[in-house]
This record gives sequence, structure tokens and C-alpha cells, in this order.
Amino acid sequence: MDSFFLRYRNLLVLLALLLAQIIGLAVQVRRTESGRNSLDPGDMSGVRLIRLWADAVVSPPEQLSHWANLGAGSLWQNYLDLRSIREQNQALQKTIDRLRLEQASLLEDAKQGERLQALVDFQQKYIYKTLAAQAIGSSGSDSSRVFYIDKGEDFQLKQDMAVLTADGIVGKVREVFPHSAQVLAINDQTSGAGVILETTRIRGILRGNASGQLQIVGLLADQRIQRGETVLTAGGDLIFPRGLPVGVVEKVVPDPDRDSFIDVIVKPAAHLDRLDEVLVITSTEPRFSVEQQQDIATSEMLKGAEAEAIKQQQKASQIMAERLPGLTDPNAPAANPAAPGQTAQPGETPAAPAAAPVPKLLPARHPDRFTPGTTPSTGEENPTPAGPENKPESKPDQTTQPPSGQPGRNPQP
Amino acid sequence: MSVLGADHRRDMGIHSYPVLVYAMTPLAALVLQALLPRYLRGYAWFDLPLVVTVYFALVRRDPIQGMLMGGSLGIFEDALTHHAIGVNGIAKTVAGFLAGSVGVRIDVENHTIRLMLTFLLSLLCSAIYVFIYRILLGLELEWSWLAELMKAVGNSAIAAVLFPLLDRTQIKE
Repeated sequence: MDSFFLRYRNLLVLLALLLAQIIGLAVQVRRTESGRNSLDPGDMSGVRLIRLWADAVVSPPEQLSHWANLGAGSLWQNYLDLRSIREQNQALQKTIDRLRLEQASLLEDAKQGERLQALVDFQQKYIYKTLAAQAIGSSGSDSSRVFYIDKGEDFQLKQDMAVLTADGIVGKVREVFPHSAQVLAINDQTSGAGVILETTRIRGILRGNASGQLQIVGLLADQRIQRGETVLTAGGDLIFPRGLPVGVVEKVVPDPDRDSFIDVIVKPAAHLDRLDEVLVITSTEPRFSVEQQQDIATSEMLKGAEAEAIKQQQKASQIMAERLPGLTDPNAPAANPAAPGQTAQPGETPAAPAAAPVPKLLPARHPDRFTPGTTPSTGEENPTPAGPENKPESKPDQTTQPPSGQPGRNPQP
Repeated sequence: MSVLGADHRRDMGIHSYPVLVYAMTPLAALVLQALLPRYLRGYAWFDLPLVVTVYFALVRRDPIQGMLMGGSLGIFEDALTHHAIGVNGIAKTVAGFLAGSVGVRIDVENHTIRLMLTFLLSLLCSAIYVFIYRILLGLELEWSWLAELMKAVGNSAIAAVLFPLLDRTQIKE
């Protein structure tokens, strides 16, 4: 048995290594609902650990190289500067004299420039919070168009943050490490961004192809799409804010897989193959200046004062409505089906539980027996001879009683 | 291509190198592979970890050492991409195994043979990569054989310069 292992030692080690790596690959791939295989977008802890090690190995030399490059460039530049410093000094003296003369006339222009600069600053600060970063390395593979930047968790970078330059969008943060981050460029085959053509307002999905070109895929053939049309981000992918420049249409080619569909090749606005400094959008919430915050506070205050004025006006209207005369007695009870101590008489229907308000009659100046409320109740003995004028009458309604100024004629005890 | 007998191979012995060369060469290959494409833009037609793997597997005449170095470098290469980890690892494991096995049987001092081996193993690595990615994993990957051919040529060109330089670091007995 020992001789078997010794004899086939190399092959056995090869099989073991291949098997281990194939199993490792199998756990990284999952089947999607559409029946296709795809890589798990979120790395497992083990995979992330390996990526972290690789980054820890490669990033420090890359950063060192970057700093050395900067240092050497600076040193060379200083040397060149020193060589011509005398000539430059004389030229600068002349320039200073000339500038002093021009200073007065340029003062107004400078003030105007400051105002314009303030406007530009406002525009820049209003939109998004960004973080400048330096590209320090790449994946080293044509099939994986990712690059590394020198900012990571130490600068609160997170996954899926948009990365751009002043020219246009570049990609998104795919992986964040302690002191660096991996950025997936928009021309990678696995990247995607929602875009819109500026003139025709046609929307599509932007992705990279094998040769590193940008293309908008799956568009229906449309004659309006012309070369040179600007492509902007559509803002629907929750990564790139709306309206950022992506590039211009370079050419339109038919989709090789589907008839009546086209692919639009886009020339990127950003120089994706010459990236040095990039900006990472760390927050898409608007950032207001102090003046803007004061304006917003003032606006809120004015809004509150206006609401208070409307409330006061409504209250005054209510008071006025209460004080104005009307047909209804405001002092009468709203609904009093049976007053306390009052019983229904035989042959008399009880008062309705919710009687409609009866108009108030003015008191008679000289009340007589026909005056409502002057007829005695049936329980009261009255020796007055019967006559047409002394016939008992039904009990009047409570609201028709005379005022308390006629007590002798009131039938109530 | 001259095939050697077992006695001749024993007589030739196995080349040794300082530990620093063993440690720094693969590391430098990884770093340069990640760094140089930034400056060469779209013309980075080389795979330095593969060249280093082939060299050490050949001169050490040890398939196991070649497999371990190739597998490690391949996994590190995969870790720097956003692809699955292990595809390059498998390809370079096979390359290291073949280079180590061939190193036992042929005269690897010959520069032409080493360059041809580098060229062929580069193409083989590319084929294994595509096979694993498309067939084994069933993932979509657009591919250009012209680019892979250029990469194999680039690897051979680098090997033509690098192998003699590394030969100079051998420990003389």
C-alpha cells in the first residue's frame, strides 16, 4: 500500500488539490430562478477572507509603488525646477510688475469671479457628498475589469457606492477592505447600470462586453438613435444618481441573438483605462449650506405663522357665528324628551324624543285665554262656568310658555 | 527535445534558490500582475504568476511543489478579481503539475524548450479556464482566443527575459 501511495503520490496530490478547489467552486455558484448559474453576489465568509488576504498582500506594495511614483515624480520635477529657477525668477519679477498694474483693473473681475465661484461651489455641494480616492491597482485580468482604490472602511466606504470622475461614471464599489476597496468598472461584463438617451429619452441597461466596450443591450431597433447622442444615468438602479454623464453613442449594431433588437455601443465619458483620481459618492442626500439651512428654517417659520393665522381666523368666524341672532334659541336644550317631574297626561302623546326646534314666539303684550300657555291643567279645579271661552285646552308646548312676568295666569303650581 | 534517462536526471540534480527568491518572486509576480495593467492600459498580455509557476516547477523538477505554487498563486489571482475563487487555481495547479512532470523527463536547461513549454502551458491554462467557467460552472463568459494567443506570446517573451535572470540566483554547489 505504501508503495502505491509513493508511486502515485503526484497524481494523488493533483487529484486532491483539484477536488478541493472544485468543491470550493461549487459552493460559490448558485442556480437562479431563470435556470441559469450565477456567482453568489455576496461572498461567503471564507471567500471574503481569501479576498481579504489577497488584498492585504497586494495592496501595501501597490500603495508603496504609488507613493514611490509620486515621490520620484516630485523629485524629478524639483530637479527640473531648480535647473531653470534663475530664469524663472527674472521672468516672475517682470510678471509681478505687470500684475501689479493689472491688479486694480482686475479687482472687479475678481469679485465677479468670486461670485461665480460661489455659485459653482453651491452647485457642487448641493448635489452629493463625495470622497476623492486614488486608483492603486487592478485585477490583472482582462476578464475582470475591477480596480482598487486607496480608501476603504477607514473612510466609511460601503458596497454599491457609485464611483465617478469629473467626466462621467466609472463603476461601483464591489468590495470594501480595511484600507482599500474594489471597484467594479461599468465596462465589466457583469456590471449593469440604468441609462437613458438624452434626446430620445430611450431607456436601457448598460453593460460591458468582452472587449471592454460599453453597450446598451436589448433595445428595440429605433431609427432615432444617432451617433453622438449623449447617454446619461437613468437613476433607477439605486446606485448611480440620475443625470450623470455616461458617454456618447458610438455606433448601433444589430443584436446577434435577437432580430429587431439592437445593441448601442457607447463611448465612455470617463477614461476607464486611464483612471487615477476618482470620486466616490458616499451619500446621495442633498447637502445644504448654512445659508440654505437658514432659508429652510425661515420658510418653516413662515409656514407655521401662516397656519396660526388661519386658525385664528377660523376661531373668530366661529365666535361671530355664535353671536349673530337667529331663529333658533341657543339657550334651549337640544333634545329633551321629558322634563324632570313632568308626566304624560292621558290622551296626550308624549313629546318626541328628538323634537324639531320650534320657532320662538314673542310674548303677548296683553295675554288672554287664547294666549298659549294660559290654559290651566286638567287636574286643576276651576269653578268658572262652562262657556265657550272657558273650555279646557291642551297643554301647550314648553317652548310656548309665557315669560315669568305673568305668574297669576300660569297654570303650573 | 532531448529526453533524459533516469541516471542522467539524477546527475543533473535539483536547483536550489535562496529563500528570499522563493518568497519574493511569486509575491512580486502577483503585485506586478495587479499593478502593470494600470500603466499598460489594454496591452497587458501576460500572466506573470503562470510564468513564475512554470519556471519553479521546471527547475525544481517537483510536480507537487509546482502544483502547490501554481494553486496558491492562482487562488490569489482569483481573489483579486470578482470571479469565483478557484478557476485560476485549478488551471495553474494543472500547469504546475505538467511543468514539474515534464521537468523530470526533459532537459530544462534549454531556453527554447522552456519558452515552448511556457507558450503551450499558457494556452492550456486559458483552455482550462474557459472549460471550468463555461462548462463546469455554466457561467457566461465572452472570450477571445486572439487575446489568449497574445497572452501566450507575451508570457513566452517575459520568460525569455525572466528565466535567465532567475537562473543567476541559483545556489551554486
